[in-house]
Amino acid sequence: MANREFLIDPRGLVWDHLSARAVRQPSHEAIVHVAAGEVPYRWHWRPLMDAASSAGRWLASQGVKRGEVCALLIRHHRDFYPLYLGACSIGALPAVLAYPNVRLHPEKFRQGLEGMAARSGLDHILTERDLAATVEPLVRGTRSTIRRVHYPLEATAGTFGDGGHLAPSVAEGSDGACLLQHSSGTTGLQKPVALSHHAVLQHIQRYAGAIQLHAEDRIISWLPLYHDMGLIAGFYLPLLCGVPLVQLSPMEWVASPAMLPQAISSEKGTLCWLPNFAYNFMAERIREEDLAGVRLDTLRLLVNCSEPVRAESHERLYARFAPYGLRRSALGACYAMAETTFAVTQTVPGQEARQLRVERAALANGRVVPSRSGDPSAMRLCVSSGVPLPGCSLRILAEDLHEAPSGRVGDIAVSSESLFTGYRNYPEKTAEVLVDGWYQTGDCGFLHEGECYVVGRKKDLIIVAGNKLAPDDIESAVSAVAGVIAGRVVAFGAEDTQRGTEMLCVVLESGAEAEADRRALRLQVVQAAMAIDVTLSRVYVAPPRWMMKTSSGKLARSSNAQRALAELAWK
Amino acid sequence: MISDKLKKVILGVLELDDWTFTPETTASMVPGWDSLSHARIISAVEDAYGIRFQTRDIIRLETVAQLQALVDKAG
Repeated sequence: MANREFLIDPRGLVWDHLSARAVRQPSHEAIVHVAAGEVPYRWHWRPLMDAASSAGRWLASQGVKRGEVCALLIRHHRDFYPLYLGACSIGALPAVLAYPNVRLHPEKFRQGLEGMAARSGLDHILTERDLAATVEPLVRGTRSTIRRVHYPLEATAGTFGDGGHLAPSVAEGSDGACLLQHSSGTTGLQKPVALSHHAVLQHIQRYAGAIQLHAEDRIISWLPLYHDMGLIAGFYLPLLCGVPLVQLSPMEWVASPAMLPQAISSEKGTLCWLPNFAYNFMAERIREEDLAGVRLDTLRLLVNCSEPVRAESHERLYARFAPYGLRRSALGACYAMAETTFAVTQTVPGQEARQLRVERAALANGRVVPSRSGDPSAMRLCVSSGVPLPGCSLRILAEDLHEAPSGRVGDIAVSSESLFTGYRNYPEKTAEVLVDGWYQTGDCGFLHEGECYVVGRKKDLIIVAGNKLAPDDIESAVSAVAGVIAGRVVAFGAEDTQRGTEMLCVVLESGAEAEADRRALRLQVVQAAMAIDVTLSRVYVAPPRWMMKTSSGKLARSSNAQRALAELAWK
Repeated sequence: MISDKLKKVILGVLELDDWTFTPETTASMVPGWDSLSHARIISAVEDAYGIRFQTRDIIRLETVAQLQALVDKAG
């Protein structure tokens, strides 16, 4: 049950809840900003909110108005938090965007940002001078919605801390939007979701109850805040509930994964959310000497979310970190998406996520048959993502969109009191996925004894290391490579057991026959994908007219993927 | 100069037959070298040379020449 302390009135406003917290516990820790090789910077409640108020006044002085969208394109920085909250303080809608990876071609990034700005209705960009040359031309574009680009960190160095008094309430209805988050993925997938104060507050209260949040909890996260798991579980949840957040940089964590267990140990972390690939990555990449003195006994719940949950990944992580105090009962899971604010289901804290052995062949045919076979190849171990949160409902639908009978796999549809009302400026996409108040997730799964098991996807979506990739985006990039027959490319994901995620593959048709030509073509294709910031693990080169088509004349992704894996060499 | 040994380790992790490395080569220029494979490359280099890098040094790496310099310094 939720601690009374976390009973949040969803009729209020986010900023007012945070202001009240700053008055109630001014010297408690709010956010611990961790950067490699530096002493962690500790934001306490009152200084944080004073700085946010100051940032809000600065934004207003720069022409940012209530209701306008402020996109934040800023790297891991301790002043990011007051800046984000400063936008909240004046009733603007903050939206965190991913800072471009160096390998993403600047022109591709600019095009993606331009498309997103028009779709999402971005009004202001808050960024760093390093991006000026890329971002400034967007303001001059005739169709651009962007009014101005601001460089708050450079313009106000050190002044956010001089606030002095808390900004007053923006005094609007709680049904108004308080933030914009984007469903994750490549440009073809990113869709803007505006969430109301009510949806966020209601969800945080429900979710705090589901994970039995209490005043002694400490959340440790390296998750990027442009992703719903990072933004809601790793930012709004701790702030609205007054529980300290210890924030690491995603880029530093991936370079040095030991930073996470070290932070859990030194900061006595109790809660952590991770995508599945991170379990394998940490089990394999962290060396013994980096764990000297590390203890994970305080960790009471580790939530696997954002990618299909793999039993083997839980086992690997547990085997690696049990000697350091990781408890099996801490291995939880959750099913979540930006469209429902965050979580739909959650496992019970203190209990390991349940596992169910089912017949692999039956599952492939849509039936859930518990396995009694001793043959590992004949069974699949499915991991539960838990039970629906209060206020959330889940249906398993058959192909005719009616509820599937018990024991059958179907498409997962969800309804939630924190459901979005539609993608911003995207009615046609909204109509595709939102039917009578039910969000059609595109995931496939089943219910067993009240718990949700997600086992696949209806959409041709590829999830690599927590990132959702649209095959269409990859296929267009590859199709443009000289030597590839245009339009004859299929991108797909293949299970990568070693890394606990999917590996990204393409099969393409080409007239190249000599092995040297094919090798050169593969490299060019990998580089073309890198320019849109995706890494191809396998490139299968097929001869002309090799691809199979569907009855409607499109390339059959799944059949061609299966055939490529079975028949072609990738090297 | 990028040594043949370092080049071989990097190519091995990235499953590449060959690639031309210059002192200015950055990870983003090399097919398959992303943030996740970077971690594998660092481990493979450490194992090949029997050395250990500092986290701060790894995070600041920008070019292959800087990686070579780190290897030379540690050796």
